[in-house]
Amino acid sequence: MAVSGFEGFEKRLELHFFGHHNDPTVTMGLRLIDFDSLNQVLRVVQCAVVSAVGNHFFDAYVLSESSLFVYPTKIIIKTCGTTQLLKSIRPLIHLASDLGLTLCGCRYTRGSFIFPESQPFPYVNFKQEVICIEENLPDTLCFRKASVMPSKLPSYSWHAFSAGDGEHFPADDTFTVEVCMTELDRVMARTFFKTSHDSAAAKGMAELAGIDGINPRAIVCDFEFDPCGYSMNGVDGDRYSTIHVTPEDGFSYASFECVGSVYDDQDGIVETLKKAVQVFKPATVSVSTTSLHREAWTTVVRAMELLGLKCRSFVMDEFPAAGTVVFQTFTAARRK
Amino acid sequence: MGNRSSTAKIVEMHSLAQWNEKLASTKQSNKLLVMDFSATWCGPCKWMEPAIEEYANTYPDVEFIKIDVDTLADVAREYKVEAMPTFVLIKKGKEIARLTGAKKSELRNLIERHRNSN
Repeated sequence: MAVSGFEGFEKRLELHFFGHHNDPTVTMGLRLIDFDSLNQVLRVVQCAVVSAVGNHFFDAYVLSESSLFVYPTKIIIKTCGTTQLLKSIRPLIHLASDLGLTLCGCRYTRGSFIFPESQPFPYVNFKQEVICIEENLPDTLCFRKASVMPSKLPSYSWHAFSAGDGEHFPADDTFTVEVCMTELDRVMARTFFKTSHDSAAAKGMAELAGIDGINPRAIVCDFEFDPCGYSMNGVDGDRYSTIHVTPEDGFSYASFECVGSVYDDQDGIVETLKKAVQVFKPATVSVSTTSLHREAWTTVVRAMELLGLKCRSFVMDEFPAAGTVVFQTFTAARRK
Repeated sequence: MGNRSSTAKIVEMHSLAQWNEKLASTKQSNKLLVMDFSATWCGPCKWMEPAIEEYANTYPDVEFIKIDVDTLADVAREYKVEAMPTFVLIKKGKEIARLTGAKKSELRNLIERHRNSN
């Protein structure tokens, strides 16, 4: 294990808003935040846009340190490295307020850092992060919960914070799956090192790794980092998916996040998850599934088992305005 | 020598007639035309703007036009624009390449590849 290297594990922030007078026709909402203002927020967080795409439902930005998704009433920012993600809360609430939108929900999650000592304040421990978030939340978000969900592996926990106003709930049949993979297959990881600077001729990392086959329907917006690293956002209707890869040996990491619906054919989602994890052939997979429906995690288990991975730990908990969060870890069946 | 006081023109198509005329004109030469499908409310398009302006200045032999997907919805539909920005490269009236998304170096690579080809 390296003494210090790039931190792949992301911090993830999700903010939900509602329109004044409960306006159901908030068609553009947060997407109307002018780009320069959004860019200012990203600067404060210490990241920048490297590629982007928007469709009728949302805007997806690939950042120098992960991703940003802007929906009419929801913003999701996921950043890795040593970014200052929580500094975005106050300015985003302010920008939303200028558009007549009020915060009604906030979720913050992350796994366990590979290099916790390299993180700046307040990311030194979860308690400090929660204090920092709460300092920026309005009193109306009075239903709050912070929890560290353990696994049997001491270095793999899931940290989750959620706050809601108790009145506005996403009327949702969807579930979010956050997959964190470590100890990636070494040969596979080499794909994510930039070999040729002439990208006009060379096959892209996405094609070489088979990432574009995970969801053939999705519009892929990606970026290959120099000397190594890869990020992509997939846009499929109103659903996003996102992959981030830190390929260096000793601290290799890849994340895959996607959205599914309990009304979808679950086989499709199983297939997507299986394909995504298969690209990286990791030694350890930890997955957090968030949903208002309690059975969403079973889809994850099915996908992992198809890859010969065995569930080593399982923790389930309820969070305000988020629903049920299930945290599981998987390793190869033959390992202990 | 760059003359910064006059920026290269990225002409916005304001009507179907103007677009049809532009498309017809591409048949008269081997000049590459880059269509930029965007929207006023599109954040990714806004982020991409400086790059397009730079390329319009760097490649004076290439023509750049802007098509607002709301103003010219029919054209957007005809070219099956699903996401923005979408860049469609035209030569002699025909689509020869396209790029979906605000991807700066990929667009430059496409322009480089097609500006002189037949």
